[in-house]
Amino acid sequence: MKRREFIKKTALTAAASAIAPYILPSGRLFGSSGSRSAEHVVLVMFAGGVRHQESVGMRYLDDAQIAQPYPGNIMYNMLTGDAPTLKIVYGTGQGGINPIPTLNSFVGNSLQAQGTLFPEMRSLSAGHFGGLNSIIQGADVGSQGLKQRPLNPTIFEYLRRHGGYKATDVWFVGNGIDGSVPLLNYSGNPDYGIKYGANFLAPNITFNEQGFDHLGNAKIYHPENELTPMYKLKAFLDNSFAQYGSALDALGNTPEEKQEIKTFMKLMYEKVQNGSVNLPPVADNGDLYTVGFASEVLEYFQPAFMCVNLNAVDVCHSNFTGYVQALHRADHAVGHLWNKIQNTPAMAGNTTIICIPECGRNDEPNSILDQNDWLSYDHSDDNAYRIWSLMAGPNVPVNTIAGGTISNPLGKVSDAMMTVADILGIKNEVQAAGFVEGGTQSLFNLL
Amino acid sequence: MQDLINQPDSQLQPINIAEDKNRTNIRSVTASLVAISAVSALLSSCKKDEEVLFELNNLELYPSAADKTKLKSNQQFVSILYTNLFQSAIPGSDVFELDALFKSIGDQDVAKEVLISNFFNQQGVNLPATEEMNADIDVFINEAYKRFFVREPNVAELTWVKNFIQNNPYMTPELVFFSFALANEYQYY
Repeated sequence: MKRREFIKKTALTAAASAIAPYILPSGRLFGSSGSRSAEHVVLVMFAGGVRHQESVGMRYLDDAQIAQPYPGNIMYNMLTGDAPTLKIVYGTGQGGINPIPTLNSFVGNSLQAQGTLFPEMRSLSAGHFGGLNSIIQGADVGSQGLKQRPLNPTIFEYLRRHGGYKATDVWFVGNGIDGSVPLLNYSGNPDYGIKYGANFLAPNITFNEQGFDHLGNAKIYHPENELTPMYKLKAFLDNSFAQYGSALDALGNTPEEKQEIKTFMKLMYEKVQNGSVNLPPVADNGDLYTVGFASEVLEYFQPAFMCVNLNAVDVCHSNFTGYVQALHRADHAVGHLWNKIQNTPAMAGNTTIICIPECGRNDEPNSILDQNDWLSYDHSDDNAYRIWSLMAGPNVPVNTIAGGTISNPLGKVSDAMMTVADILGIKNEVQAAGFVEGGTQSLFNLL
Repeated sequence: MQDLINQPDSQLQPINIAEDKNRTNIRSVTASLVAISAVSALLSSCKKDEEVLFELNNLELYPSAADKTKLKSNQQFVSILYTNLFQSAIPGSDVFELDALFKSIGDQDVAKEVLISNFFNQQGVNLPATEEMNADIDVFINEAYKRFFVREPNVAELTWVKNFIQNNPYMTPELVFFSFALANEYQYY
């Protein structure tokens, strides 16, 4: 090749490299178009059906029960307001008479005081699975089946595909395996799907006694001498089988990420055995255990996005006393999670938390009485569409209550997903994908 | 009877000896017939035990992997895996518990790896010794394919896997079985 020709070709190659898109680990070609306002987001699906009156309304028994004029705020880690003074049944001890103390960091400084409350929003569904889907999909698809993966892409897939996040950067921690919760970590959309899904754990199942018996005593293999050749042989066997077209899609964890997850699981089994899981000070229901393990995921993986599902309040179908107890504990759980975030160096001051119910509950009770002769509540009427959202973190206005009334709510449940996309810099891509509910926008745009 | 004893001798009726003899003869014949029948029945029912041999049906091997189109459920996977490794049936309650555990873990590959690692840490895994594998690698590979994939390897597969085992000194039967249990083909039937 002549010298001039060589120089010309070299220059052209260099120019092409400068303007050509670079390939991210996830396979996407371009980086996200927006900037990030925080490095981490934790989305708490404060789910199970939370009645507006007992939560943001701070009405305690006043609206819910006949001849029980006892208002008050039973979510005082999250919300600013005085606690009830009478008819206390939501705490610990016999009959629940001992309220769970406010966590130290929230005394006089509720999460609401640290961030922004959207007191009157609208859900897209009055049901649980539809509601959960509307949070993570940003839409309530009418044809969504109850035992079916989300029809539209979820925030997990948007983040992995458009934000370039790896699998262990995106987590979904479920309260259990009922109610199709394990199906929510990725959708059935052919352009997204499992390869962009979130890592999922239902720790109350994974790390229970049966989990320890069956999975808690894994043999340790040397990564180079044993695991590497084992994976190579597996790869050969898979390639041989691939010619028949029955390949299995996978979540997209690299071998290193799988090793991290296995190591985390082993650590959790050890912590369960020696009682050192980072549980909240009061840990007497499933939600509190879920959040304890979720805080362990936060500490170990420091994910860019973690979604946690709580739902113990759904006992309200048949037991109002159990409902207020669960609501009080869900508040305690969120406080514990926020404390964990602020005490994790890589995440403190760099993480936004968003809490939102998937739906509310009815205005009128059903006829089921509990041990205190209090009536229970289902979720199907217009009151069940009344929800709220609470957000705190970098760039979130402090001690702010956004507008909104019953007749003119400000924000809808799908806004939570768009807010996550906004914070982590992929809002434009999510909107361009075209699957979200019409009118959905980031909560920041509502302020 | 007591009445008969108490009766005075003058009132006893004479016994008809001939009739009695007839009755006795009939009774004797009947008893003989019954005895003969019983003996005959006994003799005919006493048969020598047939030798019964319990064995497994011959396993029908797949002609190739192309016939495997159905994905195993979690329950099928753990049941078959357990049998392949321990050569015995898994308790039903374990299948149910493992199914729930698999649902609680998003990455099914991770779940399977952890399960297999746990199985290999238990007593009772039916595993050939490394020396046995190295003594006849062809036989070992053939048996591994049959055990896990229910088929025989083709020539290319046999050659590749044999070369791989020979060139990787850390490769043991356990790691080979691990690879097979994790392979995509093993998830299908």
